[in-house]
Amino acid sequence: MCEGTATRLAFAVSVWTVIGFVLLPLSVVVWLSFFANRIISFPPTGYTLAWYARAWGVADFRNGLLLSLQLGGCATLGSLLLGAPAALALVRGRFPGREALSTLLLAPMIVPGIVGGSALFMAYIEFEVATDQQLAGTLPGLLAAHVLIARPWTVRLLTASLTGLDRAVEEAAANLGASPRRVFLLVTLPMVRPGVIAAALFSFVISFIDLEKSLFLVGPGRTTLQIAIVNYLEWNLDPTIGAVATVQILIITAALVVTDHYAKLSRVF
Amino acid sequence: MGATNPNRTGLLAVPAGLFVALFLLAPLALMFRYSLNRFAPGEMMEQALTLENYGKFLADGYYQGVLWTTLWTSGLATLICLVLGYPVAWFMARTTAPRLKSLLVIAIVVPLLMGNAVRSAAWMVVLGEKGMLAALVGALGLGERFGLLYTAPGVVIALVSVLLPFMIITLQSVLEGVSHSLEEAAMSLGASPRAAFVQVVLPLSLPGVLAGTSLCFILAMNAYATPVLVGGPQFHMMAPTVYQQVSKAMNWPFGAALAFVLMSVTLGLSIAANLLMQRRYRRWAE
Repeated sequence: MCEGTATRLAFAVSVWTVIGFVLLPLSVVVWLSFFANRIISFPPTGYTLAWYARAWGVADFRNGLLLSLQLGGCATLGSLLLGAPAALALVRGRFPGREALSTLLLAPMIVPGIVGGSALFMAYIEFEVATDQQLAGTLPGLLAAHVLIARPWTVRLLTASLTGLDRAVEEAAANLGASPRRVFLLVTLPMVRPGVIAAALFSFVISFIDLEKSLFLVGPGRTTLQIAIVNYLEWNLDPTIGAVATVQILIITAALVVTDHYAKLSRVF
Repeated sequence: MGATNPNRTGLLAVPAGLFVALFLLAPLALMFRYSLNRFAPGEMMEQALTLENYGKFLADGYYQGVLWTTLWTSGLATLICLVLGYPVAWFMARTTAPRLKSLLVIAIVVPLLMGNAVRSAAWMVVLGEKGMLAALVGALGLGERFGLLYTAPGVVIALVSVLLPFMIITLQSVLEGVSHSLEEAAMSLGASPRAAFVQVVLPLSLPGVLAGTSLCFILAMNAYATPVLVGGPQFHMMAPTVYQQVSKAMNWPFGAALAFVLMSVTLGLSIAANLLMQRRYRRWAE
């Protein structure tokens, strides 16, 4: 019995240690953001809130954050516009090649970010040479890349939510004389609303943290927050980065907590 | 929608499908074509139909070394993730209190999606010569200036922290499906907890182990931020090398070839692991 208790204790300790390791990077950057000295030393000599103001004062971070928020919002909207009908087709449709279509729609998740990013960059340049229309380094070019990577997650979350839907309710509405359009707007849509909210927030996070795809497509004066962070880290390591990271973590945590409220996060991956 | 023909419902996926074709498949096809062109300094490249870019990769020891570093770093990190992640996933799957469970999922998913740039920054702070780890080692009197930044072990540690949440969440969702009553049945028939785990839970969770290791390995092979920031300028992995060739050296044919080598090695190894495991699994089930 005594041995069993010891084993159980050792197991619990190792599990919580690993969870601590997973949370370590997050805790470190949050802690760092309050360090008083610019030169990082452990333990810190004191604490301050000044780095948050300084981070906002760095133009790359401020513009990067604003661009990433804007891009995330637009990419989410685009992903929903493309993804919601696609999810409906995958769940409700009975047609040959449905499996192949599903694979095609999820393909952007499988192709590595750097590979897809290089290919898109080359295609943009080729397009520019052919038509004199610039895409690389422009907002539309960046937006298309973000829709490409966010949309599969939209489809995945919406498919899950549509699959769990009780169709009898829709049929009842149709039997009572509602047109297909009315059924969709007044019955189907309200029923999948939690799924739509979860899909939207999750897609936003995917766009917000993207690094590899954006790497090729940002232009001078048009940098996403992730790229701004990488560029800054090449030459500097100070508590400013902690402040930026903390703000980013707060945004992401908020989005994910709400997502988890509407859809089981553990089932998303 | 209730009255529409389910065959026509498929048309709703056409815009999304076209989007993937236009922004993923066509660019990939174009890049593959470029990988057969010849590099011409000054004018980017000249039209050709040659395999010499792939040949250059095979002949040049430097790039072989980069691939080798990428392979062993990814393999090691994935293995460590499996060993560390499995108990946590099991613990999460067996947690019944809904509050605690939700909290645990958030505690794993937020680090998963915190962004690789920010995570790398954290490891630079921890592993640097004057970092947290060095301070800890110094305080314990075990040595001075103990830095792992810009070393291979440092990259493996940072990669493990990128991948571990993916491993845990994948394993957890599979272990969730292995009913606790199966373990109880085995134990009530006289199996020790260890035997119940090894002979019942572990075999049933193998598909999750496979899914988790494939996912982690693919992500590790294609990691960008971690090798660049934690590995430093002397540590070379494939994804940063592809970026360097395409974006900085402007050698598109060779960069394209490297990208396809990276993608085929990654996907090839995952598919091989899948097939191998499936065969094993079938034999096990019989």
